[in-house]
Amino acid sequence: MSHAKSQPHGSRFAAFLLLLIPTAIFLLIFVVPLGSIISLSLENTALGSRFVTFNAAAENNPDQRAQAVLQDLGAMDQKQLGEVARMLNQEKSGFRSLILDTGKKAKTIPPSMGGLVAFDKRWAEPDYWEIISKNAGAISWRHYQKVSGLKLDAAGNLTIAKGDLIFMRVMGRTLVISVEVTLLTLLISYPVAFAVARGSRRTAATILTIVMVSFWTSVLVRTTAWVVLLQTNGLINNLLVWLGIVREPIQLIFNRFGALVAMTHVLLPFAILPMINVMRTIPKAQSDASRSLGAGPIETFLRVYFPQTLRGVAVGGGTVFILALGFYITPALTGGPNDQMLAYFIADFVNKTLNWGMAAALSVLLLLIVILLICLGKLIQRMLAKRERAI
Amino acid sequence: MKFKAIAITCASILAMPCAVQARDFTIAAWGGNYQDAQRAAYFTPFATDKGLKTVETTYLGGLAELKTMSDTGNVIWDLVMMGATDAQLACDEGLLEEIDWETLPNAADIIPEAKFECAVGNVVIGNGMGYNTKAFAQAPNSWADFFDLKKFPGKRGMTNNPTMNLERALIADGVPMDQVYKVLATPEGVDRAFAKLDTIKKELQFWDAGSQPVEWLLAGNVALSTGYNGRFITAKKDGKPLEYVWNEHIYNIDVWAVPKDSPFKTEAMEFFKYADDPASQAKFSSLMPYGPTNAKANELIPQADLNNLPAGPNNAHALAYSDAFWIENYDALKERWANWVIQ
Repeated sequence: MSHAKSQPHGSRFAAFLLLLIPTAIFLLIFVVPLGSIISLSLENTALGSRFVTFNAAAENNPDQRAQAVLQDLGAMDQKQLGEVARMLNQEKSGFRSLILDTGKKAKTIPPSMGGLVAFDKRWAEPDYWEIISKNAGAISWRHYQKVSGLKLDAAGNLTIAKGDLIFMRVMGRTLVISVEVTLLTLLISYPVAFAVARGSRRTAATILTIVMVSFWTSVLVRTTAWVVLLQTNGLINNLLVWLGIVREPIQLIFNRFGALVAMTHVLLPFAILPMINVMRTIPKAQSDASRSLGAGPIETFLRVYFPQTLRGVAVGGGTVFILALGFYITPALTGGPNDQMLAYFIADFVNKTLNWGMAAALSVLLLLIVILLICLGKLIQRMLAKRERAI
Repeated sequence: MKFKAIAITCASILAMPCAVQARDFTIAAWGGNYQDAQRAAYFTPFATDKGLKTVETTYLGGLAELKTMSDTGNVIWDLVMMGATDAQLACDEGLLEEIDWETLPNAADIIPEAKFECAVGNVVIGNGMGYNTKAFAQAPNSWADFFDLKKFPGKRGMTNNPTMNLERALIADGVPMDQVYKVLATPEGVDRAFAKLDTIKKELQFWDAGSQPVEWLLAGNVALSTGYNGRFITAKKDGKPLEYVWNEHIYNIDVWAVPKDSPFKTEAMEFFKYADDPASQAKFSSLMPYGPTNAKANELIPQADLNNLPAGPNNAHALAYSDAFWIENYDALKERWANWVIQ
């Protein structure tokens, strides 16, 4: 009796255990990297944990502060000193040599403000002290301040630093390019998907093969192919000149046009495939019925066919848009200086300036925008559904 | 029997990480023809003499890889060729082994600009202007020409970086070469450089890989481009209609360094004997048109080759790149540069 009773519990427990594994994998693959990116954008231990004595020193006692800085710098090994110098130099030019020079001689400098200034007169400038005290905490918002262009002034008010809105501008540009690419992709992929779904078997197979081959080809290869096609003495320009359409080769690459063409091509399969799936589920009989009831071909398409394909358009468009937001190599190779997207700057911070905090903060910005857009999409979907029900 | 086979397979899979640990001597350099020439001049003689098996990989600049190696304790490179600025930055952060110049053979013949705390300067590189000889009737010959859109219309290729480009803007604006870094150290000097860059901003196209300027000039994608002398000269030797302008070019130094805690530290330090040897450097320069850092190597290079190198007379009217200036000012100027590009 009790055995039979415990069985459902047992199977529930087994199911729980079985679910535990995918949950753990999910956490490991998705949540952990996201968490580490977010913590990387805020974390400041490299600076915060090095200025322990300084953080404890009284702010209005210059000699005590000088002594504390010397003690902290003297306690750092070469690697820590180099790291601290690099990070502080990101805030102010010249901080690097100041920290390195002072750090190497920290044990011999008299531990007072006078001694420090005598060693290097830059220590007399309040700027340097302000930057240390601002950046010596365990958590720092300085990366987000740079990303947003917002700054806290001395009085504690948020101000927008003029000309510092660089990453907001790049974010805006990234969104604009992604929207442009999404619209272009949808415009091209709709008729293609329609041809596959409604065309003869042979047409469908041919088009699908072409789409899949392009889908399976490396993004880098497809991008470079566009460089070869679009460049000044490339195939397309030569053809245009030969046909007499233009007299001189025209600029087709290293501008927005080149970036859009290449990105659209790379992303087309992501829109075509979901659209085909949706279009194939719509019975042809519906259109026939609509025609037999007196609707013309255009009305049949607009009122019977098109509304039913919207689900595919939304999935395809959404996928393309989200993928486009993170594009890096394609606009880097085919766009001009003003067509570089946020990912380009993230890569620059990771590889070249070693400012992983900034790279992480920019990644978080991109993530937030995506989340915001998904929420917005859901909201619109819900509102539309409500209206439909009301009708 | 079957069980045994499975057991052996499993054991060998488990043993694989250990096999990777006992790896071969690994050299990271810039790749392409550059690395091919280094292989012929340095790697092969070194590996043969020492009975070592060497593995090569590509390094693309920056400190990211070295920092990761240091943080994880998994040092996968034993020798790396880097720009002198990056090497100094890495040295300050303890990512590289220090060089004991006292014990280094040939040290006395190495030019002083090539001696660093953690790195051995090995190659002198020219960073100047290249052009397609078929594009213009009159050849460009100065940075003033580079900035002259009327005389030389068309796109300009350069890197998306303030380094060297701010110097070029100042030279084009009439600053004498020995004053460039003095002027650039002042806020007015920086403003002046950016104002000059404004005049060609709409025509700029940024290159990333060293091969792009050559491809772009040949394809007509840009009219003039900055680039490494080696790329233009190599293409020219292959019969391409390209020319490199020696006047007012900027030369910097590429260095060899040993990542901190490399398991092959002793062998890596012995590599410098091969890299600093005048005959080997002359051989390298005959294969790849970059200059030697061993002053004695110049005498071993035929005059015809010397004409193609950033060495001797070609450097008579040139600017020596200041690593010290850029180490201090890069962050602030890069930020301003990025802002300038976006606006």
